[in-house]
Amino acid sequence: MPLARSLSVTSLNGLDDWDDDLDLENSILFEVAWEVANKVGGIYTVIQTKAKITTDEWGENYFLIGPYFEHNVRTQVELIEPPNPAIKRTLDSMNAKGCKVYFGRWLIEGSPYVILIDIAATAWSLDRWKTELWDSCTIGIPWYDREANDAVLFGFLTAWFLGEFAAQCGDEKPFILAHFHEWLAGIGLCLCRVRKLPVATIFTTHATLLGRYLCAGSVDFYNNLQSFNVDKEAGDRQIYHRYCMERAAVQCSHVFTTVSQITAIEAEHLLKRKPDVVTPNGLNVKKFSAMHEFQNLHAQSKNRIQEFIRGHFYGHLDFNLDKTLFFFIAGRYEFSNKGADIFLEALARLNYLLRVNQSDITIVAFFIMPARTNNFNVETLKGQAVRKQLWDTANAVKEKFGKKLYESLLVGNLPDMNKMLDKEDFTMMKRAIFATQRQSFPPVCTHNMLDDSTDAILNTIRRIGLFNSSADRVKIIFHPEFLSSTSPLLPVDYEEFVRGCHLGVFPSYYEPWGYTPAECTVMGIPSISTNLSGFGCFMEEHIADPCAYGIYILDRRFRSVDDSCTQLTSFLYNFCQQTRRQRIIQRNRTERLSDLLDWKYLGRYYMYARHMALAKAFPDNFTYEPHEPTAAAGFRYPRPASVPPSPSLSRHSSPHHSETEDDERYDEEEEAEKDRQNIKQPTVSNMTQVPEWRKRSKKGSVDAGNSSNASNASTPTNPSSPSDLSSPTNSLIEERN
Amino acid sequence: MTGSICTAGAGEEVTAAPEPGTDTAEMAGEAFVTLCTNDSYAKGALVLGSSLRKHSSKRLVVLITPQVSDSMRKVLDKVYDDVRVVDVLDSEDSAHLALMERPELGVTLTKLHCWTLIEYTKCVFMDADTMVLQNIDDLFEREELSAAPDPGWPDCFNSGVFVFQPSIKTYNQLLQLATEKGSFDGGDQGLLNTFFNTWATKDIHKHLPFIYNLSSISIYSYLPAFKAFGANAKVVHFLGKVKPWNYTYDSTTKTVKGDAHDQTLIHPEFLNLWWEIYTSRILTLLTEHGVVKDTSTGLKALSGLVCSLAFSCRFCREEEVTEAVSHMCIAAAAPPPSPPSISSEERRERWEQGQVDYMGADSYDNIKKKLDAYLQ
Repeated sequence: MPLARSLSVTSLNGLDDWDDDLDLENSILFEVAWEVANKVGGIYTVIQTKAKITTDEWGENYFLIGPYFEHNVRTQVELIEPPNPAIKRTLDSMNAKGCKVYFGRWLIEGSPYVILIDIAATAWSLDRWKTELWDSCTIGIPWYDREANDAVLFGFLTAWFLGEFAAQCGDEKPFILAHFHEWLAGIGLCLCRVRKLPVATIFTTHATLLGRYLCAGSVDFYNNLQSFNVDKEAGDRQIYHRYCMERAAVQCSHVFTTVSQITAIEAEHLLKRKPDVVTPNGLNVKKFSAMHEFQNLHAQSKNRIQEFIRGHFYGHLDFNLDKTLFFFIAGRYEFSNKGADIFLEALARLNYLLRVNQSDITIVAFFIMPARTNNFNVETLKGQAVRKQLWDTANAVKEKFGKKLYESLLVGNLPDMNKMLDKEDFTMMKRAIFATQRQSFPPVCTHNMLDDSTDAILNTIRRIGLFNSSADRVKIIFHPEFLSSTSPLLPVDYEEFVRGCHLGVFPSYYEPWGYTPAECTVMGIPSISTNLSGFGCFMEEHIADPCAYGIYILDRRFRSVDDSCTQLTSFLYNFCQQTRRQRIIQRNRTERLSDLLDWKYLGRYYMYARHMALAKAFPDNFTYEPHEPTAAAGFRYPRPASVPPSPSLSRHSSPHHSETEDDERYDEEEEAEKDRQNIKQPTVSNMTQVPEWRKRSKKGSVDAGNSSNASNASTPTNPSSPSDLSSPTNSLIEERN
Repeated sequence: MTGSICTAGAGEEVTAAPEPGTDTAEMAGEAFVTLCTNDSYAKGALVLGSSLRKHSSKRLVVLITPQVSDSMRKVLDKVYDDVRVVDVLDSEDSAHLALMERPELGVTLTKLHCWTLIEYTKCVFMDADTMVLQNIDDLFEREELSAAPDPGWPDCFNSGVFVFQPSIKTYNQLLQLATEKGSFDGGDQGLLNTFFNTWATKDIHKHLPFIYNLSSISIYSYLPAFKAFGANAKVVHFLGKVKPWNYTYDSTTKTVKGDAHDQTLIHPEFLNLWWEIYTSRILTLLTEHGVVKDTSTGLKALSGLVCSLAFSCRFCREEEVTEAVSHMCIAAAAPPPSPPSISSEERRERWEQGQVDYMGADSYDNIKKKLDAYLQ
């Protein structure tokens, strides 16, 4: 059954200025990555979520190439015969020569075709191929680096496949486009060029090898970016061969892309090539039919977290849960890379501010970062048991009370209030209350840590003295394990938990993209990220006033740590100052940004990269217009029409807030419509009817709301001026100050 | 068998009757013996010799093969009392014949030559990749064949350190066994374990404590034991493919640089000690004799090392020795080191060893040029 080719992509504009000559019928796209149907890290998520829109665009002509692992294939791939005869001939030819290449459908949304190569089956060729690699590129691979040797096998097999496929196509001569992700797939790209295969190549790095190593080694990374001697740094860290593979792939590719502006800067200095396109990572956004469904989900999940808090803080519940805000940080346990250090420091300052200003707001900050533990600690479990007991007691008394009330009403008497509760009931209740007394503070950590005395988070908490005492307005709960809906403590999964929180805090120092804040946004939860994270850069570019949309972007690039910390504190403090209504409005705005993070929108950057690669590799058949870096920016959300949600008192400390309009006017519908127009074309419905969508162009594209008209929320359509066409690259290459 | 067997107490020297050919009067009956088959193992032997000198006053003998360069021999001569060239192919005896039949046993047969040192009453053989940490003269109280168990198969002894009694008769029996049955592991350890096959069961006194031959792999394979008993170690044996001289040493921090995945670097103390001895005591000797050339004068391309356990090997190597960037190279074949035009083959091999000259010939700029040719 042929895959349907949907035209949904046409609901987006910004494509039409270049795609009119893109002949997809006679082009074949291969996407090569080690994490195709093989979950190792984050690249898997990128490729898996992107599959749907790519299949929509390329249909039968889209193939993913990855390594074959039996356990993966058993659970997520359905092996089938290749429907494409040239692919079938290629596979047969390779399998006849001792390879093991499999073909199937990856059972994910979009069910794309996958070609899986068993690298172990040809491991005996390793030495020969390493010799060839040495002869052609003078890159050697140490015998002890298993991963690098796998990369060689995988690279040679993909290059073999592509070469064989090109030969098997015979006279059809389709345009072959191969998109490689990460250094593990890079050798294949280099070989395509070395062997001069008729293949247009794209290379995408999601983070640079060296950047990761340097940041992990607590180097002052961004300030020294220009001055690293990259060969020496890589060599000293024993990753020279990997770095060479990565850099060779970068050098050889027709088009080089990274996932964010910040990684682009990193790549420019560490890999010595400026990316041609920045291809941000998207998500598959699930749209609820009910408009404010996400607000209801927030309320539901929040109740579950509140229940947990009731138990955890038993005996110390001297704060109002309705005036309690939940903050959280989540991710891999990298204390300073993920910004846990600066978050803790800001919490300590926030605590001071709230106390000095006698605020009635309480903050509970969750740290969800897996560390080595010996399971839950007794005190935490006891808290939940105590809560359960109180609940049971209350229910028992309620039952008795209800029964007496019922009997009294049956005989037609109003109940005698003094007789409704007897002595026994009071004893029971007193006993239950007695059990809730405790001398110690509620525990900071929910688990018994294995490295309690050396743990970075715990030691910082000890230093700043946030021990959940009654006087503290900021309470901390460190949950050193992933969340699970089967946990006896906090039985929610990660998504539910995020929905129930008020603010995600991700002040990372090194974060090439940052899916965590993106997920928050899609769920309508405001978040704090930094201008060192890909997500933060992306949002900063696309939104005129990110704070108003619940996207707080911390400046960690051009400020000292102390200044950043002060800024973070002011973000947190301002957030605390908001009324409930303001928070609801802010969540609505945050949620509206999901369109921006949807692959349906972000997929266009990939399309653009592919087009550019085809044009570079086959200049006679394809053309593309290089865009002026200074041209208008891409899509930009203007400032919201109504007043920003934070009170005017706090404005001076947050420079990004708009200073206009002081009335409390807020029209959700009107505002949402304006926001929507910034990303979708007004003539959507017409476009989808037209089969030859590629030819429909130059019509009603959106004026890119650059800073000059950012305050003007309307989106004028501009029928005939190509220079105004918004294009993906413009916003990317745009110089940032 | 030679006549007297040493049964005396610790430190007492039993002098054998002077034999013809020995010129020194203070000819001792006991000696430590080692073997090196090329210049890189010679570096190991030099460090071993130096560590023995520090902890013992016994005579030191080194057996070398013709592959060891002349200049290196001179340096060995400074550390060892007796440097003997063993050329199995040249020998008139049955060893030659044995080699003809079993060419793979080349190094093994050279090692067996230690039994021909009959001017000594008793000897302790130590591999060139061992290093002495404390006085071990009490080994001479042991009888032939005393050795420590092998960490991989403790019913076999490890032939990196063993006590033996030179004897032409034993030597010939060993050769005969080698010719007839060969060695089950292709090396001397298999052969010796076959010959002294009662070692595991007969006499516990022939079992040397493990601390007399502490294999470096045991440090990580049984870490708790190492933590408990490692401090008593007397001899450390750098088993494994990567030898101490294959590592890169940073003389400023006094640490060995290495791959993070390398388990042997969990406890790098011994490696660091090896390098400390090497840089403090051996390097000056090597420089004096022109084995190591200070190449700050220009040639710096020689770096890394082609490590080979095979019979012959040409190799070069770079170390960061002084605070200044001074590169040294050791050339094996010719006494005056030839200009460092290393073959492509050698460069590749060094990559595979993780010894990349990333600041020189292998810099990315050179790779870039190579790749640019394809991108035209």
